[in-house]
Amino acid sequence: MSASFLPSLPFELSYPLLFGVLLVSGMLGGEIARALRLPRMIGYAVVGFVFGPLASAMGLGPLIDEARIFVDLAMGLVLFDLGRRMDLKWMRRDWSLLATGLAESLLTFIAVFMTLEALDFRPVLCGLAAAIAMTTSPAVVLLMVHDTRSEGQVTERALNLTALNGLLASMIVTIMLGSAHYESRMSIEAAVLHPLYLFLGSLILGASMAWAARVIARAIEREREVHFSLLAGLVVAAVGLATLLKLPVILALLSFGLFARNDERGYALLNVNVAPIGRLLYIVLFVITGASLPAEALHVALWGGLALAGARALGKMAGALIVAPLGGLRVRQAVGLGLALMPMSSVTLLLQHDIARLYPPFGASLSAMFLAAIIVMEVAGPLAVQLGLRLAGETLPEGEATMSGSERAA
Amino acid sequence: MPLEFARSELLTFGVELELMVLNTRDYDLTRGAGDILPRLAKMKLPGEVKPEITESMIEINSSVNHRYDELLRELQTVRNAIVDTAERLNLAVAGGGSHPFHKWHERRIYPTERFRRVSSLYGYLAKQFTVFGQHVHVGVTSGDDAVYLTHRLAAFIPHFIALSAASPYFQGEETSFETSRLHAVSSFPLSGHMPPLETWAEFNGYFDEMKGYGIVESMKDFYWDIRPKPEYGTVEVRIFDTALNVERAAELAAYVQTLSAHLLRVRVTEPILPMYRVYGYNRFQACRFGFEATLVDPYTREQRRLGDDLLATLERVAPDAEAMGTRAAMSALARAARASDNGSAWLRARYNETHSLNDMVRMQAELWAGAVTKP
Repeated sequence: MSASFLPSLPFELSYPLLFGVLLVSGMLGGEIARALRLPRMIGYAVVGFVFGPLASAMGLGPLIDEARIFVDLAMGLVLFDLGRRMDLKWMRRDWSLLATGLAESLLTFIAVFMTLEALDFRPVLCGLAAAIAMTTSPAVVLLMVHDTRSEGQVTERALNLTALNGLLASMIVTIMLGSAHYESRMSIEAAVLHPLYLFLGSLILGASMAWAARVIARAIEREREVHFSLLAGLVVAAVGLATLLKLPVILALLSFGLFARNDERGYALLNVNVAPIGRLLYIVLFVITGASLPAEALHVALWGGLALAGARALGKMAGALIVAPLGGLRVRQAVGLGLALMPMSSVTLLLQHDIARLYPPFGASLSAMFLAAIIVMEVAGPLAVQLGLRLAGETLPEGEATMSGSERAA
Repeated sequence: MPLEFARSELLTFGVELELMVLNTRDYDLTRGAGDILPRLAKMKLPGEVKPEITESMIEINSSVNHRYDELLRELQTVRNAIVDTAERLNLAVAGGGSHPFHKWHERRIYPTERFRRVSSLYGYLAKQFTVFGQHVHVGVTSGDDAVYLTHRLAAFIPHFIALSAASPYFQGEETSFETSRLHAVSSFPLSGHMPPLETWAEFNGYFDEMKGYGIVESMKDFYWDIRPKPEYGTVEVRIFDTALNVERAAELAAYVQTLSAHLLRVRVTEPILPMYRVYGYNRFQACRFGFEATLVDPYTREQRRLGDDLLATLERVAPDAEAMGTRAAMSALARAARASDNGSAWLRARYNETHSLNDMVRMQAELWAGAVTKP
């Protein structure tokens, strides 16, 4: 008897099933971490670490590529949200905020550059790597702020500085790519025009998306849910357009968020929270990021990675400690701010991937060092943010979070 | 031991204003008092700016003033310092009686011993009590006068409510009330009005009795709409929603000062009890309908529109306003009464314009900062 309606053996694993498993195990990993009083995202990343080798052992390598769209979407929303948190008016009113950002970025750049130079890398590579190292992971900071219900100066400043160092890093990387092109004897057009295209293109894309959002927003009901769908849709579209136009997703989405927020007259767009669907995307983001980090990197480049992560941490903390108190922050708050800037995750990974793709000489050894540093920071970063926000007294005290079932409405 | 009534200079006055601390992203309440206050402490300002029970609240205490125009100038100075400091922290500050959409369980108790004790006693009431009021103190020279004024000012509570009302939205809803803040106050034991005692000696007896029961420890435990404040030698009117700008706050204080001058001059002698029998009804009418409320006069048994009653009163106290230098403030209040204009009307108009409570609070903060002026 052949029952053709029954599935045939052997089973073929399908992607929806795999994603389901991945999401549920990621979520469980997060809850286990929570039970151990660790930040949830450590759990997500660890599930990813485990899942990566398992998947490739089962011949499921392409899963990671298949999930790319979700990762891009998640990154898009995170960056957009971050861009929207960046307040240019504040930076104009409080010089110390911008100064802290510039200082921590610059000192990080210098510290990483010198460390890599001491390890005998070529200056161009040191520069590129140092620029990448300036970035703080927006996903980690945003999710930690959300999970700990942090509110206050350190929280707001950390988010603004994360946006700022992301912007600075992508700008510097873009510019340095030009000189790297030039060094590798490509035409002068490529050296000048390519970075210019990447930079202006991203800004124009971000501005046009924000403009489109506003035009549509004026035509529709001012209701949260409607505006939410509008923004989510446009964010996905922006990620697609950036990829289509070969523009850096980071810069494009940050500028979309930035233009959407810093809209002086209109206030056409409601300030809706993307967090509700954020959780799901965050889990995907962290699990996939974890899964795409090869554990071999730890063998190959553990010490190099630690040196890189250490130099970077030193630069960030020094920048926060030297400049932030000048703006009236207490020392505790400045230390908290420094700690909150530590995470290094998907954005760094994305930049690193972009460069390795656009500029092959970036090389395997430097990539391995970065990967090792990122693996270490996947665990250390969230802990640092948690400690920093607690030190600043901005997290919701333990035990008061009992009624936190409702997501913030705004 | 009897409560000592500290004498203060007759008809001097001062205000306390509780203000909201907001983020500038969605204009929800946020914790910021701990960052604003230390910075303000480094400046030379008249009076004092203090923490209140949650971290999203600060309180201005003015110094003791003689004249309305001095008080107004002082409040403007302090307002500017606060707005300036808040801006540098990317925070905003606003007036108004309650925040229209905050979630009370997200509030954090400001870490001082007294606030923690209050919080553990009253539980969720303490956090739900995240409402913002204005208190006006008027100086009197004896405890007997304080008791007299406490009763006689109570007759004008509906005026105070209608003029100051600035909390039509609460927990994200249009309440249909002119002020929703007063509901939060009524949940406390010992809210309402002072019992009908006639002299300071009688009041002392009452206080000792309550203390004997173990119900109260100090005057702070009475949440009455108006109460004597023996430590300061004042009568304290506590019914007002915090006004949307310092100009209205100063006008309200001037009204209390002028009424007190009037009441101390003419010495009302009608019995107190009938007034308290209609007190709750009139108070509700004012909370619900503002200037359109129908007030009952217990002595003539007439019903009158609140707005008209207010205008008549302003006319009656005109000589006292002349003497106290509050004529400008009284004309401003008369204009408001004629136009049925108060904070709630302004807020509702802004909401109808923008259909967003977030945007409404943003404009509320701009109004407080003096960046926009009321028409």
